[in-house]
Amino acid sequence: MPKHELILLKNMMQPGYTGSLQDYERAGGYQALRKVVGKAQPAEVTAMVMKSGLRGRGGAGFPTGVKWGFLPKGYVGPRYLCCNADESEPGTFKDRQLIERDPHQILEGILLACYAIGAETAYIYIRGEFVLGAKILEQAIAEARTAGYIGANILGAGITANVWVHRGAGAYICGEETALLESLEGKRGLPRVKPPFPATHGLYNKPTVVNNVETLANLPHIVGRGPEWFASIGSPPKSTGTRVFCVSGHVKRPGNYEVPMGVTFRELIYEQAGGLRSDKLLKAFIPGGASAPFLTPNHLDVKLDFESVAAAGSMLGSGGVTVMEEGTDMVWAALRLMEFFYHESCGKCSPCREGSSWLVQTMRRIVAKRGRMEDLETLVDLCKNIEGRTVCAFGDASVAPIMSTLKYWRPEYVALIQEAEAANLIKLEPAGARH
Amino acid sequence: MATTTETVRLTIDGVPISVPKGTLVIEAARRVGVMIPHFCYHPKLKPDANCRMCLVEVERMPKLQTSCSTVATEGMAVRTATTVVHDAHKSVLEFILANHPLDCPVCDQGGKCDLQDFSHQYTATSRFEETKRIFQKEYFSPLIETQMNRCVQCLRCVRYCDEVMDVKALAPIGRGTMTEIKSFGAHPLDCEFCGGCVQICPVGAIVSRLSMYEYRPWMLKRADTVCSFCGDGCQITVQTKDQELIEVNSAQGAGRNSGDLCARGFFGFRAASHPDRVTQPLIRRNGVLVGATWEEALEYVAERTKRLKQAHGPQAFGGLISGRCTNEELYLFQKFMRVTIGTNNLDSSARYGHVNGVEAMRVVQGTHRWTVTFEDIVQADVLLLVGTNITETNPITGLKVKEAVKKQGAALLTIEAIQPAIGAISNISNLSEQHVCVAPSQFGAAVLGLLKAVVEGNHIDSTVRQQGEDYVAAISQAVQKLAWEDLALSTGVSRESFVQMAASLAKGRRVVVLAGQILLRSQGGYGICLNLLDLLLLTGKLTARGCGFAPLAEENNDQGAVEMGAVAAMLPGALEITDQDARARMSRAWKEELPLATGATLVEMIDRAQAGIIKGLFIVGENPVGSLPPQIGTREALGKLDLLVCQELFLTETAALAHVVFPAASAVEKDGTFTNAEGHVQAVRSAINPVGDSRPDWEILSALSVFMGVPLEYGDAKEILKEIRAVIPGYGSLGPLPIPPAVDAAAVGRYMSEGYRRDLATRYVLPERAVRSEGTVQLGLAQTLFHSGKLSTHSKGLLQIEPGGFLQMNPLDAARYAIGTGDRVRLSNSMGEFTTTAKVLDRVPEGLAWLPDHFAQNALQLFDCAVDPDTKVPCYRTASVSVMKTT
Amino acid sequence: MLIEKYKQEIDSILSRYPVKRSALIPLLYLAQRDEGFISEPAMKEIAGLLRLTPPQVYETATFYTMLNLKPVGKFHLQVCKSLMCALAGSDTVIGWVKTKLGIRPGETTADGLFTLTAVECLAACGTAPMMQVNEDYYERLTEETFDRILADLKKDGTCSLKTGPFMWPEAPKAQ
Ligand SMILES: Cc1cc2nc3c(=O)[nH]c(=O)nc-3n(C[C@H](O)[C@H](O)[C@H](O)COP(=O)(O)O)c2cc1C
Ligand code: SF4
Ligand code: FES
Repeated sequence: MPKHELILLKNMMQPGYTGSLQDYERAGGYQALRKVVGKAQPAEVTAMVMKSGLRGRGGAGFPTGVKWGFLPKGYVGPRYLCCNADESEPGTFKDRQLIERDPHQILEGILLACYAIGAETAYIYIRGEFVLGAKILEQAIAEARTAGYIGANILGAGITANVWVHRGAGAYICGEETALLESLEGKRGLPRVKPPFPATHGLYNKPTVVNNVETLANLPHIVGRGPEWFASIGSPPKSTGTRVFCVSGHVKRPGNYEVPMGVTFRELIYEQAGGLRSDKLLKAFIPGGASAPFLTPNHLDVKLDFESVAAAGSMLGSGGVTVMEEGTDMVWAALRLMEFFYHESCGKCSPCREGSSWLVQTMRRIVAKRGRMEDLETLVDLCKNIEGRTVCAFGDASVAPIMSTLKYWRPEYVALIQEAEAANLIKLEPAGARH
Repeated sequence: MATTTETVRLTIDGVPISVPKGTLVIEAARRVGVMIPHFCYHPKLKPDANCRMCLVEVERMPKLQTSCSTVATEGMAVRTATTVVHDAHKSVLEFILANHPLDCPVCDQGGKCDLQDFSHQYTATSRFEETKRIFQKEYFSPLIETQMNRCVQCLRCVRYCDEVMDVKALAPIGRGTMTEIKSFGAHPLDCEFCGGCVQICPVGAIVSRLSMYEYRPWMLKRADTVCSFCGDGCQITVQTKDQELIEVNSAQGAGRNSGDLCARGFFGFRAASHPDRVTQPLIRRNGVLVGATWEEALEYVAERTKRLKQAHGPQAFGGLISGRCTNEELYLFQKFMRVTIGTNNLDSSARYGHVNGVEAMRVVQGTHRWTVTFEDIVQADVLLLVGTNITETNPITGLKVKEAVKKQGAALLTIEAIQPAIGAISNISNLSEQHVCVAPSQFGAAVLGLLKAVVEGNHIDSTVRQQGEDYVAAISQAVQKLAWEDLALSTGVSRESFVQMAASLAKGRRVVVLAGQILLRSQGGYGICLNLLDLLLLTGKLTARGCGFAPLAEENNDQGAVEMGAVAAMLPGALEITDQDARARMSRAWKEELPLATGATLVEMIDRAQAGIIKGLFIVGENPVGSLPPQIGTREALGKLDLLVCQELFLTETAALAHVVFPAASAVEKDGTFTNAEGHVQAVRSAINPVGDSRPDWEILSALSVFMGVPLEYGDAKEILKEIRAVIPGYGSLGPLPIPPAVDAAAVGRYMSEGYRRDLATRYVLPERAVRSEGTVQLGLAQTLFHSGKLSTHSKGLLQIEPGGFLQMNPLDAARYAIGTGDRVRLSNSMGEFTTTAKVLDRVPEGLAWLPDHFAQNALQLFDCAVDPDTKVPCYRTASVSVMKTT
Repeated sequence: MLIEKYKQEIDSILSRYPVKRSALIPLLYLAQRDEGFISEPAMKEIAGLLRLTPPQVYETATFYTMLNLKPVGKFHLQVCKSLMCALAGSDTVIGWVKTKLGIRPGETTADGLFTLTAVECLAACGTAPMMQVNEDYYERLTEETFDRILADLKKDGTCSLKTGPFMWPEAPKAQ
């Protein structure tokens, strides 16, 4: 049993809670929306969110209130809210749970955000594989519409808010906010060049906010219980609130754990998730989804907040914590992730497109014991040449596994290569060298 | 351009420069002579920043920035020459080279390849030793092939096809490194074949099959000249190896077309090298044309002419010239007819329709040219297109319209006989804000509807109202007589649509009205042009800056034909032949009296030949037998002649009847000038020597005049141009931009006080409503994108796209007659019948069917011909025919 | 023609978006539901409905892994092979498929019942190994449950072991 107060998972932890409108309302749902719609100015809602210190849960951790504040003031014409439910970052499975178990919590968050930013239409961009999640959301929307929370003239306040579910169709990159917008426009999910940012030129070139599911799910609580309350949780001032961490890999009790930001990895892995599967030693862990550089047992006491993890050389990212026990082949692990990035590179930027295919092939060679020592230099070079040279953050992410495993477990690479060299001692002279 | 632009100052590698706000760093750098390497950037396209090649350092920005997508800002300091930047460029190249096949030895782009050049510049190689991805080479079409292994995925082709052409035929398929450029599934490319993708590809991934493996770029000789397929007047570079035509392209930004071309320009160049070219003079002996020497042929013609002239006088002669000839030839031709022969019986192919637009401009605004340019089209905020089907007839003017709409946000209003349907060929009505689909026979009615809405909506300019009280009253009265119900019946368009269109038009600040060939060549075309000018005048747009009327020319030098005086009633400078001052000036220049008798126009000459009045005809590059409907009796009339002389590239239907055929040089074999539809005079330069024994038309005319004893001698085309400039002061600036004339206020004054009265009663009535009987469609003759007149039917490339005639039909009609694409159909009416192949297209409006006139000789019998009483333009564009599926 | 069969559904999809093209992926899904894959005639029809060219439809359709341009088996087994599942033995699952059904990733059984695809992370890392069969998730796979799933699918077309609304660790049971 968790020793912290649960916020987002609280309802669903109640025995018998079904996530229906009735259950949600009984648990106090939609009170926050009722509190503000037609009663508070939209700007006041934004101010509350700003004050709460809420930062995006999608990966980048950008302050939500500040993002909303970028929308052009006094703009007439449509604005949009997009709920990013594309959850595809390997190691991450929290949004799925939030969607399937407590959809109204998200809808209320969406409606609050719509109200704050003046959007009459919100799209929930949900990854295509979440068929069940999409159905549950559709049903929740229908319920909320009947109850007057969604539609024209919500809560009789003369305000329109429509929410539609839009399914993706299998492309990790569509979680990147501008790729998401392209995809939502019926195009290939290629990230856009920024600036301009979605806040001014988003969906259909109109001012748009993209927020993660978990980010939005926090809103009813912030508005309902006050920003000060929220700001006191976690590790203020920079990382407030709780986060739902997804623990996977070699642990006894993998799963989603909501804890205040600032607890340590040790606490999360050993207390919440029950420690390592077969009580082996911890070898490595990924702190924030596949895009976050690997960390080592030396980092177990790092705090789970944005700044601390960054200081440790990685990132809190999506909150997906993957644990690897002693004996895990780190080169293989890096290759697995590299295969993912190769498969998912959208192909827009040359360094990412060509680099991912190059890296994956070289890694496959090393793992297959056909590597050469020079390969290691090449790997590092290629990674450096991809990093910071692409349109979106995917490029940076894609090199994290190789860069970090090379940093901490280089001997494993070397060993594989030495084995390869030993097995292949006869070197062919190049044809031109024979006289 | 007087658009006041703010500027920003920045430094590039320490060099200060000030550029207009909004300029991209890559462009700012170019201005100080720094070429930042790039693949995906192209000035015509929106930045996509996908290749990542153009990275630069920008002070106070942590990461390298793509200069192609970064806008220069005040105080920005950009560095392009640091080690960091250099290494970044080299590394991006290394990535791009990774999967590249390095097959430069067999690549057509070798020697003009960005990837090759940058690799050389950076001595870049790739350490890549893994397996390269392999794509199959695709025969994209008979004309274009893709080698996707060479592709750098900059998407310039795809973006061009969408952003510039609005065709959207190319698509990146798949994801990641396996992305390749395709069209649809395994289907061959079906598109406008503008060649843009071939031209814009920075490497050799998309190549023209017409010239594949034929050359290395440095072997080619280049000639910058002007395309001869339509009135847009695109600048092309003809590339040749020895005497062989290898390739045509157009440099980015070149000419009025700014480097863009259409299928005709890009793939049509092989017409000149067709084996059927007439390469030696021919004389008819015992009924057959046999080869002869120049000497013999010239002698023969001179001798016969002399005898005929002695017996019947100069009025027994007539002359006809093609609007494809150079200005120099057109000028010399009319001088030859007027001076050497002594008659005004002469005409040119401008008579087929262009004259309608020119005459209307002369009457209302006192100019024979557009008062606007392509730039005005691009900058217009409202564009009205009437009967243009612009994509197919004047594709590059069409691009200007697309640019205005897509990039500048202009409102497009269209009155066209097309349905907005998405197809392989762009459809201008898809970009319309307001589109009305009207049959060509009812264009006049639609324009009247618009005028009525302007009058009733009170959109009349106050100054015009004051200055032309009677004029405004007369027109108002005239339109009030028209009933909205009748207009709706004629056009199928509701009153509201006209009202909306009129409101948009009136709101516009820069309004350009384009009238296309379908209008100019349809019955009553002249009157409709006048009415369109009324529309501009009434709304106060005629004289406003950036506003004007722009009739589109079909043939590349129709405009030049008029300006050179190669039409019966005009002297060079488009001056009336009855204008005494002009006559006097001209006879001084020519040192010769001008003939007095009014000249006969095209159809009149044929009638006179029929009547035995005209006995000798000089035809230069024209083919009236093939072009005019048989009812006119051209073939019989020409058969009666005592002397028919043709200067031709091919043995056309007309040339086959000739007594003497002179082999003429094509446009790529001669020098001179063409004047495009907007009145811009451009240099034509020979790319190869005349094929066989052929000679430029001007040389032939000059030689004839010498043999006839009234010599018109010139050393070269330039000398003729010099004379043209003497008689038409300042003719053709030959500069990069046309200088359009201003509306002549005096002429407008005359028109408003008096000129309008003459035919107001006839042009403000509704055209006859064709009652379409069961089982018939209205057949129209049209130009297609892939051909131009009949010349292009000799072009290998174009024939590969469109090898023959076909009937374009609406799906509903097709279904009605149980016809599918590819079926044979018989068209018939009381005048004859014709069998062809059907093609079902969504863009064709119900009840209409189009037949490309390039292949329609045998269908001409179905058409009646009406000659415009004012402009003498023969009109035979629509016919009512029964349709039947046949085998 | 889709429009005749699904007029209402198509209208309802179109009504959600101010710009038609946004309906593209939903309509491609519709086409896939109808025929089991996205055929050329369907793409052409959708292009017509959305005023796009067929290549514009094609480029979008080929970008997304869930859109099949070729027919797949009646049951599309998609086994996650990303690192997190691999740590929990997803390679073994792929091995089971091979021994039990005789197909490798990318292949379809001769009877057309099963197609195997090895896919990337499906957001079930805490309940690995897992696979998705058509629309349903099956998690915490063991050889025993795997066998049952195959048997049930063959027999009933579905299997009760599929995951319901997801939560892991599970909530405490009601007393
Ligand atoms: C490659 C890539 C994939 C991403 N995937 C997701 C995702 O699946 N879900 C998500 O919410 N954010 C994802 N993001 C982050 C989004 O771009 C964006 O920052 C986020 O949706 C903003 O919401 P937030 O401010 O609420 O976090 C991804 C970013 C990148 C670069
Ligand atoms: S970094 Fe990779 S995923 Fe991101 S836009 Fe570029 S190519 Fe696409
Ligand atoms: S030219 Fe700038 S990224 Fe390609």
